[in-house]
Amino acid sequence: MKLAPTAASYLEVAPLTLVLTVFLVIPLAMVVTVSFFEYDMISGVIPVFTLDNYSYLFGSRLTLDLYAGTLKFAAIVWAITLFVGFTVAYFLVFHVRSLIVAIGLFLLCTVPFWTSNIIRMISWVPLLGKYGLFNQALMGAGITAEPVEWLLFSDFAVVVAYVHLFTLFMIVPIFNSMARIDRSLIEAAVDAGAGRWQIMREIVIPLSKTGIALGSIFVITLVMGDFFVVKVMSGGRTASVVSAMFEDIRLLLYPPAAASAVILLIIVVLMVAAILRIVDVRRELAG
Amino acid sequence: MGHQYGRRPWTFYVLAAFFTLFVLFLYGPMLVVYTLSFQGPTGGLVFPLRGMSLHWFAALFGQARTGDVWGSFARSLPLALMVLTVTVIFSVMAGLAFRRRFAGATAIFYMAIASLIIPGLVLSIGIGLMFQFTGVPPRWYSSAFGGHLTWTLPFGLLIMFAVFSRFNRAYEEAARDLGAGSWQTLRHVTLPIVAVGLIAVALFGFTLSYDEFPRSWQTVGPYNTLPLEIWGMTTNITSPALYALGTVTTAVSFAAIAIALTAMAMIQRRRSRRALGAGRG
Amino acid sequence: MSEQISRVGKRGVTRRKVLKGAAATAGVVAGSGAITGFPTIWAQDIKSVTLTHVGMSYSTIIDIAREATKDLGFTVEMAVTDHEGFLNRVATQPDSVDIADFEIWQRKFAVPRGVLQGIDVKRIKQWDKLTPIYTKGEFQGRPISRIGVSPYEVMYLDGKEATTFHDGPTEWASMVPGVFNADTLGIRPDIINRPVETWAELINPEFSGRAAIQDIPAIGIMDAAMALQAGGVVTYADMGNMTRDEIDQTIGALIDLKRKGHWRALWGTFDQSVNLMAAGEVVIQSMWSPAVTAVRSQGVPCYYVPLKEGYRGWANGLSLTRHLEGIKLDAAYEYINWYLSGWMGAFIAKQGYYIGVPETAKPFMTENEWGYWYEGKPATETITNPYGDPMEQAGQVRDGGSFEDRFSKIAVWNTFMDESVYMNRKWNEFKTA
Repeated sequence: MKLAPTAASYLEVAPLTLVLTVFLVIPLAMVVTVSFFEYDMISGVIPVFTLDNYSYLFGSRLTLDLYAGTLKFAAIVWAITLFVGFTVAYFLVFHVRSLIVAIGLFLLCTVPFWTSNIIRMISWVPLLGKYGLFNQALMGAGITAEPVEWLLFSDFAVVVAYVHLFTLFMIVPIFNSMARIDRSLIEAAVDAGAGRWQIMREIVIPLSKTGIALGSIFVITLVMGDFFVVKVMSGGRTASVVSAMFEDIRLLLYPPAAASAVILLIIVVLMVAAILRIVDVRRELAG
Repeated sequence: MGHQYGRRPWTFYVLAAFFTLFVLFLYGPMLVVYTLSFQGPTGGLVFPLRGMSLHWFAALFGQARTGDVWGSFARSLPLALMVLTVTVIFSVMAGLAFRRRFAGATAIFYMAIASLIIPGLVLSIGIGLMFQFTGVPPRWYSSAFGGHLTWTLPFGLLIMFAVFSRFNRAYEEAARDLGAGSWQTLRHVTLPIVAVGLIAVALFGFTLSYDEFPRSWQTVGPYNTLPLEIWGMTTNITSPALYALGTVTTAVSFAAIAIALTAMAMIQRRRSRRALGAGRG
Repeated sequence: MSEQISRVGKRGVTRRKVLKGAAATAGVVAGSGAITGFPTIWAQDIKSVTLTHVGMSYSTIIDIAREATKDLGFTVEMAVTDHEGFLNRVATQPDSVDIADFEIWQRKFAVPRGVLQGIDVKRIKQWDKLTPIYTKGEFQGRPISRIGVSPYEVMYLDGKEATTFHDGPTEWASMVPGVFNADTLGIRPDIINRPVETWAELINPEFSGRAAIQDIPAIGIMDAAMALQAGGVVTYADMGNMTRDEIDQTIGALIDLKRKGHWRALWGTFDQSVNLMAAGEVVIQSMWSPAVTAVRSQGVPCYYVPLKEGYRGWANGLSLTRHLEGIKLDAAYEYINWYLSGWMGAFIAKQGYYIGVPETAKPFMTENEWGYWYEGKPATETITNPYGDPMEQAGQVRDGGSFEDRFSKIAVWNTFMDESVYMNRKWNEFKTA
């Protein structure tokens, strides 16, 4: 049975669409609706339309501070994971000769992820704490006399944890993009006398841009949506957009949390759209 | 660079060193976990090491105060496998769909992006409410399953984009010219070429589900998945049994990977042997 | 007892009377030797009932469910969740909860949302023996502090399906007492080499960079308030229900301290608090009692200090959700009666928590344990935790002394304020400062 091409597309995309419609669109519609409701501490949501939740969020200094803080983390983490992810992917694609070894090395990187996040969060304390391994090593080697306090419960610790968790999300798409680069192109360039950095600049990076764009989308989304890492690694001293949302949810304050979620959604979608404007991920598909 | 397998350039050593440092960085906390899991009964979650024993491994398997580790594992594992399977199948299909232009493609694409961005906490409350309204009891295999899919499907879809980008259609056209039907082309030409990408989607599907917390939070119903159970454990007396869990998980993962890689190597060797044989008619 | 059973529920009286005889015999035979009289309802279908007891990890312990299932004949299961997860679940998915085990201040949310049903006090066997902290708001004949949310305040309902509390005893209780305790600050006595006597030490600049406070707004704010009031920084009209101005002052003081680098961390989970203390990252912090014992069982000295301003009390209660009816409701009453009948009390006492009917717990504990945990006497031999691991050596006295000592000094309870939303926001500001 030969289907018309577009009909085939609809059929193929149907399962995904169905799942997302039921489990995303409907709950999201509920969230958006609730964001316009009034509420009372004791009895909960009151189905009366109001713009108060939004006007509070837009007018509050807290919102600005939270977004500034979270965006700052997103930018730093993005830059670091991009650098590390690109380099690791480059190594795996171009310098490892056997595919099986490459996959093996790649899987090696994923093993820590099979241990729960929470357990790994706990283990940062004995690693970076005042009396932890790292400080013991530093003092033992004579580099510092006093334990370094900002290794843990600080912005540094948050960035380290983010990079630790999310670099893999940068590696995977870049790896996939790079692996598609036709080696003969590079050979031709080498034969034509191009230098290493030239090849990097003019062949490898442009042809990996889809991977870079997707990895960036992953990392930025993950950081913007995080509440747990920042809470634990900063020692509860820094809040993020979603952790503040969590504080509302704690007290069952659904309308303001919903409004905050909607605003976050809009802002990050705009960020993603901006990335996609620079790299049109979908254009490369139809070709 | 290139196919001459001669001496490796100096960049290889630099990059290999970088890679090694990266792996050490990834394993840093894990090393702490492994070391501390071998403590004696007075051990805590931080250094200094107190005693050496297998006490905490016994505690883990004994399941007294450590919470229902095995019960929740027995839910997390099948759930992750279900999510893996469904994610791979649906993502591949959707990826194929997006190779053509069709009305509504942008809408569906942004639906997937929104699914990625929406905070899991909020979504899980929404899904929980939805189930409460419809009277269907929330369970790990229904509501949590759906919740996890909203997380893994966007990842799968986007990776498929990376996989199919600049995909050389020439192979598929050649296959069709030789008389292969669409299904045959798919199975024997398209999928093998994107196999590595599929592994990535499968891996993401599994790990993202296995370790998922926010989207499970309000959707599991009365029986916790492993991350929720562990989270519950940390809100009470914790013990190096958690670390023992980490060590056991790593050991099992290494074993699984070793098996998978050996299998892949064997398949590859058999395929190349068959290919050689094919030439001889 | 049989009259009570035959009055409520949908079953006919005759069948009940016939079963009563069988129950009496069965009750002796079934269950562990020490508990007789359970199950008092012996019907075939009760064996197929499964009750889901949902609560937080310090009280919802799987061993309790196992023992209950053994003694009662039907299945009790535990579902553990965190504070926030619990509240959200009981509010949005009440059908998935049967027995709700949560803190008294959380009741101020749950009851008005109509997800619970009142407990008929006549069906609770131990009602008269319940500690008056819950039932009368008194302890040792004197009224107990009402600053914050005290158990008495949220104990009684206007009616079975009421959504408001009644100030004073009625026939319908919103809960039966669960675990409760008196909290204070924990310190490292080996590092702070001098006596600590007041809450104000928490904000003492001597401990700058080595102090921590809990990151649960409803509870952390009380610790902060106690410290600030003791230190003379802020005075409160009603600490349990602060005005906006008082909240501003409190949070302002906290932010000030934060900027001076006073707080090493804010801990959100139990085990973070244990790690902070055991690793030496902090030397003084708000702590929960089992955290102190956990640190001690790692060989690190930790002391739960009785302070002159008093303790911060907290309490849990068990409630029934509204959807329970028929045989499941009967099973639920069976369960909560069992809960108060002793085994559970002894089990949880070894975690350092008290239970609503101490005297039923007494026979299940050794004289040594009872003496140590409840009477503040020195231990005559090693005290073990519920899992058999040694916790305290002989000769040690429980920090703070006896049940009487500690509970007569309750200054405040964990709270839920009218201005909670505002307080929440200000707490977030403290965290972003």
